[in-house]
Amino acid sequence: MSTSGKVIVITSGKGGVGKTTTSANLGMALASMGKKVVLVDADFGLRNLDLLLGLENRVVYTILDALSENESDRCRLDQALIKDKRQPNLALLPAAQTRDKSAITPEQMKSVTAELTESYDFVLVDCPAGIEQGFKNAIAGASEAIVVTTPEVSAVRDADRVIGLMEASGLKHPRLILNRLRPHMVEENNMMSVEDVLDILAIKLLGVVPEDEQVIITTNKGEPMVLSATPTQAAQAFLNIARRMLGEDVPFLSLQVPDPGFMGKLKALFRRR
Amino acid sequence: MLTASSVHQVIFKGSPEGLRLYLPEDTAFDEVLLQLQQRIDAGERLWSGGGKVFLECGQRLLDGAQIQAVQQLLQSHQLRLTQVGTTRHQTAVAAAVAGLSVDRDLEEIQPIQASSITVAEDPLYLQQTIRSGVQIVHNGTIVVLGDVNPGGELLAQGDILVWGSLRGTAHAGTKGNEKALIMALNLAPMQLRIAKYVARAPEDNPAPGQAEVAYISEGTIRIALLSEYGRRR
Repeated sequence: MSTSGKVIVITSGKGGVGKTTTSANLGMALASMGKKVVLVDADFGLRNLDLLLGLENRVVYTILDALSENESDRCRLDQALIKDKRQPNLALLPAAQTRDKSAITPEQMKSVTAELTESYDFVLVDCPAGIEQGFKNAIAGASEAIVVTTPEVSAVRDADRVIGLMEASGLKHPRLILNRLRPHMVEENNMMSVEDVLDILAIKLLGVVPEDEQVIITTNKGEPMVLSATPTQAAQAFLNIARRMLGEDVPFLSLQVPDPGFMGKLKALFRRR
Repeated sequence: MLTASSVHQVIFKGSPEGLRLYLPEDTAFDEVLLQLQQRIDAGERLWSGGGKVFLECGQRLLDGAQIQAVQQLLQSHQLRLTQVGTTRHQTAVAAAVAGLSVDRDLEEIQPIQASSITVAEDPLYLQQTIRSGVQIVHNGTIVVLGDVNPGGELLAQGDILVWGSLRGTAHAGTKGNEKALIMALNLAPMQLRIAKYVARAPEDNPAPGQAEVAYISEGTIRIALLSEYGRRR
């Protein structure tokens, strides 16, 4: 087994835009396409990724145990990895919930991710919000970056900042996922459009994910939405992004406001009066 | 003469012998490295074939690891660090250990008088997107080939020219020159400042899709189409 995988950091600057949801879904989608994937939770002290994957009750060792300086406390890296019960190609390396971002150094992160590339095709690093130590750790070992943002000025400005910081530390050409787009709001000019966001950030678009209530339900259940037998539009968007990451040329979903139907037209008629 | 104590940010200057790299004296080293990488990225296309670099760090203390970090960054762009100019003994020793020649005969640092009108430096040419959180300070004119995004800031003692969209903040004539100009292909800034005057972007800004220029007239900042402004002169 000598796959030399890619280390990809998933980051955003702002919190709450969907980094962890994106990480879980992309990890699961790539794994379902036959790739060996490991998700590395770099959000020390605010660990979430285990919940989204429904693996929270199986965390025994964390990344810190694998790095312990004390020989007797140390575990092997593969002991800390949790194999997903549904998808054997997917593993999680959990963050330590009891410590904070300073518990690990960028050099340690680099060596861990490098070791993981020996046995995995994709090492996806779920970056914490912010631009401080946690962010620096998360990008340390990465060779590629995915920036997640939502169509809001605050999220876009923060994304712009992290793109600048990554470029300055040598992580060039990040790709963009625009999350939680609401096509009807864009149509009414109440939300930034895909073009507005791309105009400012000026990086390559990897995918657009529409707002979807299913995210809340699947998060609570610990089942990434791409697992669904009848994927919603958002789940389909994540699956498409995964295929683009594998080098396929997948057209972007057309996110248009669905036809309102007869009743909708009737209602609209009344509203107009 | 330019000295390390008179620069606020990392700056490169061309000279017949090679590039001179000035490091600011009181900026954290992490920030210095970040700025250095930005400057290298922004000017990459113009330095064909690399060359020699003289590092001027004035009173700034640099240890061996820091000199090495600068050296590596330069090396990755085919630039070779050959000489270090410093007034500090420790820095000189560290540089010598790293096998670099040392120049300790820098002229005495002169305190800068903030009020005196100084001669502006050469224009600073940057080919990059100025993203949120990036601040460029220069004692001369700044030329940006790219966009200035919201949250990005340009502070120039001279004019500011943006060959792209100016959506961030720009301050021209920082030392009080009211004749300074700000111009952009698409002028849609958060805030404009010229000398001591400040202007906000109008709420209902119909971007004309043409290059515009901001200047001071009768004590306020005005904006005109660049084509009309030129005709009036």
